Amino acid sequence: MSGSIEVRGLSRVFHTGVRRPGFTGALRSLVNPERVAKHAVSDITFDVSPGELLALLGPNGAGKSTTIKMLTGILTPSSGEARVAGLVPYRERERNARNIGAVFGQRTQLWWDLPVRESFAILRDIYEVPRAEHAARLKEFDDLLDLSSFWDTRVRHLSLGQRVRSDLAAALLHDPQVVFLDEPTIGMDVVVKEQVREFLRHQVEERGRTVLLTTHDMTEVERLAERVVLINHGRLVLDGGLDEIRRTFGSTWQVRATLADPHTGVVPLPGIAVLRHEGPQVVFGPDGPDAPSVHQALKAVIERYEVTGIAIDEADLEDVMRTAYAQAGAV
Amino acid sequence: MAVLHAWRTARVTPLGELHTPPRMTAVLLRLTVQVVLVASLWHGLYARTGTTAGLDRDQAVSYAVLAVLASRLRELEQSAGRDTVIQHMHYGTIVYWYLRPLPPQRYYALRALGEQLYGFAWALGGYVVCLAAGVVEPPGSAAVAGVFALSLLLGQWVLYYVMLVTDQWCFWALRNNAALLILIFAQNLLSGVYAPLWFFPDWFVTLSAFMPFQATLSVPLSLYIGRIPLSDAAGQLAIQAAWVVLLALFTRFLWRRAARRVISQGG
Repeated sequence: MSGSIEVRGLSRVFHTGVRRPGFTGALRSLVNPERVAKHAVSDITFDVSPGELLALLGPNGAGKSTTIKMLTGILTPSSGEARVAGLVPYRERERNARNIGAVFGQRTQLWWDLPVRESFAILRDIYEVPRAEHAARLKEFDDLLDLSSFWDTRVRHLSLGQRVRSDLAAALLHDPQVVFLDEPTIGMDVVVKEQVREFLRHQVEERGRTVLLTTHDMTEVERLAERVVLINHGRLVLDGGLDEIRRTFGSTWQVRATLADPHTGVVPLPGIAVLRHEGPQVVFGPDGPDAPSVHQALKAVIERYEVTGIAIDEADLEDVMRTAYAQAGAV
Repeated sequence: MAVLHAWRTARVTPLGELHTPPRMTAVLLRLTVQVVLVASLWHGLYARTGTTAGLDRDQAVSYAVLAVLASRLRELEQSAGRDTVIQHMHYGTIVYWYLRPLPPQRYYALRALGEQLYGFAWALGGYVVCLAAGVVEPPGSAAVAGVFALSLLLGQWVLYYVMLVTDQWCFWALRNNAALLILIFAQNLLSGVYAPLWFFPDWFVTLSAFMPFQATLSVPLSLYIGRIPLSDAAGQLAIQAAWVVLLALFTRFLWRRAARRVISQGG
C-alpha cells in the first residue's frame, strides 16, 4: 500500500565477540574468541497507515534504531518481514531509497564544505528531481523552516538548529512517501524544536507523508503523535494511542511533599517510590502493580515524614512513560 | 540512471576548495616550494657528473619535478571536507551512502573523479609554468606525449583503486590511519616520487614489480623522459591495464562485503 509500513515478526540478532577480563583473558580471547548472540530486535509486529505519524519509543538500547535501519534497508533482518510503501526495503534498497527520507539525530547528510544550497542541488540530481519541482519544494520548505536566511552558508558554519532544519529539508526534497526520523530534535533549543514540530505536522497533515519518529522528548510525542509503539529489550511492549497509554500506565499519581527538615533521609515506602527531589520537596509515585491508592499514599507519607506542605499532581506524559519503561523493563 | 544525473557529486571537492581560498593558497605555496627544492636537489646531485644510472641531468630533473606535480593529482589527505570513509564511519553518517538511489561505490567513484580532475588542473598549470621556465623538458615526440597521457590515465586509475582499498579497510577496522601512512610511504617510494626506481638495487625493483605502485607514476614518467622506449610501451600499458582489472574485481568484492558491515551506531 502506498506510504504504509508493515512489520511482521521482525527480528535482528547480532553476533559479537566477548572480551574476557584481565591480561590472560584478553590473550585467550585473541586465540579463542568467544561470540555471543545479541537479540537487538525480537519478533516485532506493527503497522503504520499512510499519512500517520507514529512515535516509536523506548529507553536507550531498546532496539529503535535497529528497527529503523531494517525499515530503511540498511540492515537485513535475521527473520520476519517488513514492507515500506509496498517494497521490501533490504531487498530493493535503491528503489526503496526513492520512497523514503531519513534523518538520524545530529548526523548530517549535507556536504561539510559546501553551502547548504549546493547540497540540495546535489541531492536533487541524485534523486533525479525536476528543477521546477525542486524549486517549488524548496520554496515551501523555506516558508516553513526559514532556510533562505542561511542556505548560502557552508554547512561547517551552521548552528545545530540550522543544520537540523537543513537536514530535514534535504531528507524530504525528493518528496518521499515515508519519513524516518531518529531523534531529529535532540539538543535543539525550544524555539527551533517548535519550528521543526510545525514542519512535521504540516508534512503529515497537508502532504500526507507517513512518519516514523523516535524521540525521548515526550512534549514532542504529545504534540505530534496520536499513536505510540513502545519497545524494550528489542520486544514490542505496547502499541496504542496516547490515551490508551495514559490509561494503562498513567492512572497514576504523584505526591509532592515539602519536608520540615530538608536533610531528612528519604527512603521508598511499600508500594511507593521516590521519583525525584526538587529542592526541599520530594516527589513520590506508585511503585509496581501493588501500589496503594493516592489517599493511602498520602497517609503513608504524612505518617512517615514530618511535612510542612503536601500536594497531589496528575502525572504528565514524561512520568507515564517512566512508569511504562519501568514496567516494560520488568517484562 | 541516477549515475548520469549525479554528476554534480564530482563537483564536491573542487567546489569545497573554491569556497576555501586559504586551502588553495597553501597548495600553491606547497607546490612551488616542492618544485624549487626538488629541482635544486637534482641539479646539485648532477653538478659533478653528466650521467648517472643511465639518466642525464635534464631527464632526472624532469622526472623529479613531474613526480611532484603528479602527486598533486590526488591528495592522499581528504579529511578537510569530512567526506572520507573513515570520517563517515566515525560520525555514523555512512548510513546516508546506503539510503540514496546512487550506490555507494558509484558515489565514491564520482567523488574521486572530481578530485582527480581538480588535481589534474593544478598539475597541468604547474607543468605549463615549469615547461615555460625550462625546468621540465618537453616530451620527445607527439607519440611519446600520447603514450604518456594514456599511461598517466591508467596510472591514476590504479591509484584510485589502491586508495579505495585502504578506504574499504575502514569497514572492518573502523580506522585506516596506519594503512594510509604505509600507503603514502609505499606509494611515494615504490612509484618513484622520492627517487626514480632505477637508483634502487635490483631486488628492490623486482619486488616492486609485483606491486601496483610502480604502475601509478613510475611507468608514465619513465615513458615521458624516455627511460622506457616507445617500443616497450605496449607491454607496460598492458601491465597497467591488468592492475586496473585486477583491482576493480577485488574492490567490487570488498564493496559487497562492506555493505554487510554497516551496523555502526547503537541499537
